[in-house]
Amino acid sequence: MGELRHLDIGTGGEVSVNWFINGIRKRIQTEKLDQYRVMYPSVLEGMSDYNCPTEALRDGKWDMDKCIFCRQCDLDPTGNQDTYSVEKAIPNIFKKSLYLYPVDSGTCGACNVEFTTLFSPQYDSSRFKIFMANTPRHADALVVMGVHTEGMERVLQEAYDAMPEPKVVIGLGACALSGGIIGRGAMEKYDIHIAGCPPTPAAILKAIIEARDKK
Amino acid sequence: MKYYEFGDKTGRYVGRTEKYDVYTSTLTEADKEENDNEEKTQGEIYFNYGPSAGGLRESVNFQILTPGESIRDVIINSGFKNRNISIIGDSISDAMLKVERINGFHSASHSIAYALAVEDALNIENDDLNDARIVEIELERIRSNIDVIKGLCESAGFAVPEKQLLLLREEVARIISGAFAHRYYFSVNRINSIEGDFSRISLRTVEKQFRSIYEGLLSSKIFLDRIQENGIVLNPISTGPAARAGNFRYDARLDSKSLIYGKFNTVLEKDGDTFSRFLVRAEEIFESINIIESYGVKRIFRKNKMELSGSGDGTARIESPAGDLFYYVKIKEGKLADIQMSPPSYLNIRNFRSALRNKNIFTDFFFVWESFGIWISELEVKFQ
Ligand code: SF4
Ligand code: SF4
Repeated sequence: MGELRHLDIGTGGEVSVNWFINGIRKRIQTEKLDQYRVMYPSVLEGMSDYNCPTEALRDGKWDMDKCIFCRQCDLDPTGNQDTYSVEKAIPNIFKKSLYLYPVDSGTCGACNVEFTTLFSPQYDSSRFKIFMANTPRHADALVVMGVHTEGMERVLQEAYDAMPEPKVVIGLGACALSGGIIGRGAMEKYDIHIAGCPPTPAAILKAIIEARDKK
Repeated sequence: MKYYEFGDKTGRYVGRTEKYDVYTSTLTEADKEENDNEEKTQGEIYFNYGPSAGGLRESVNFQILTPGESIRDVIINSGFKNRNISIIGDSISDAMLKVERINGFHSASHSIAYALAVEDALNIENDDLNDARIVEIELERIRSNIDVIKGLCESAGFAVPEKQLLLLREEVARIISGAFAHRYYFSVNRINSIEGDFSRISLRTVEKQFRSIYEGLLSSKIFLDRIQENGIVLNPISTGPAARAGNFRYDARLDSKSLIYGKFNTVLEKDGDTFSRFLVRAEEIFESINIIESYGVKRIFRKNKMELSGSGDGTARIESPAGDLFYYVKIKEGKLADIQMSPPSYLNIRNFRSALRNKNIFTDFFFVWESFGIWISELEVKFQ
């Protein structure tokens, strides 16, 4: 046994926790999507002629997909988490259930963690009928994260090809969308662009919900 | 280079950069790595898993050599998501934007280690940031350890504690964003400066919530049965919680001078199995809370826009959540001429493999994997 122990280990002889009751006791922890806000990333406003390291600032215009929210320019964060744009609506057939399959093309890991946070009690994506698929064959939407990498190029294409039609492609994070500060984007075209480095869980869910409601 | 020199092997081995083998105070030319794959015998197959599969958070491929139920070997192909990062020639401040994205989940550790190496190279006085940097890293350790234990619950199919730990991981992300305006410490650490409000860090509820989940797990015989006596590794060439779980008192908080820690308790276990790694990760959450509270850092730190130039080479080694993290930088007139990094995942992924080769069955695979807390992102970067 170790030298330091804050708790004793159960022998199994005593009454062990009933996780079901324990879970119920903690009550519902799910939140509204606007309940928690963070400043970076959030929609930036204002003007800046700063020499942006990712070329997200050009001719006075801010390109959300390229921004890594590095706080170096004079744009101000608003706290507004709507850092996304919808190119193409999600087909009606997915109104009642949408299965996401994530592919890590070349991430730093933070986008992956934010993606898994969708399934946390605070965000509970299942209340929006958004679930995770374990294989691209059962997926409706491909969630692409990270920059283009040589090793993942074919894997990404194979995952896309394996999905049944109709299919949706979601770009999650600056790396996937534009390459961010690290490289080049993982795919040419996305139906849903979720900006941020990494995007917040609320932004991811709001983007998908908006794309599903769009006519 | 205050703390390192090129020369003979001295002290314990902490990992490898692209060019160097790294010991506690010396760097040597990297040795060649031998191929020690087990020979496939009749009746055995390679079971192929990944690089992209449900259950894998990052892209990595495993070829598991098995005669049926037991695992004889596992060949790990982690190179699929290898990122080439163009950083040589960048100004030392611009390079930080890339360094903090080597491992986003341990970004405080990477950005602080890099800043410390640059400060060493340019002889920049940084004592006033020591305590705040420790607080950041310990807070990151708390989140990381929660995540590892969440992974173990997920592998065991224990959905309730898994969700409770996900909830807690998110709570810690919010404490981090409350203090630093970002959930992963991006653009928080700079050379000789920090941007953040440390008065907003309070961990009382995290401690209470974690204690209750931990108590529950320790009383769950099924959970304990699943993680005991599998994935055993007792290897003197190891790092971080995996080393401490095998009774090796290895910890950069004890034997590196890059950050100066006060007194704290080192958590050690003896058996080197998945259960021991679970205990070390869990107990270290309480210890990290104690460390953070003992410093009592409550001030607001603001970015310091000092112009940086100069030449020199410097190193830093810190204890990231998974073990020794080492940086070497060579700076020429304010620009990076070389950067070498050794992440803890280098030794951890090798020890994961030895742990699996040690009498395990298929169902142990995920427990053992989760218990090492490996990040492919920091393992597969090539600086250019
Ligand atoms: S915050 Fe965005 S727009 Fe501003 S400099 Fe950084 S990357 Fe460019
Ligand atoms: S977009 Fe940002 S958070 Fe996401 S993988 Fe790239 S660097 Fe990491």
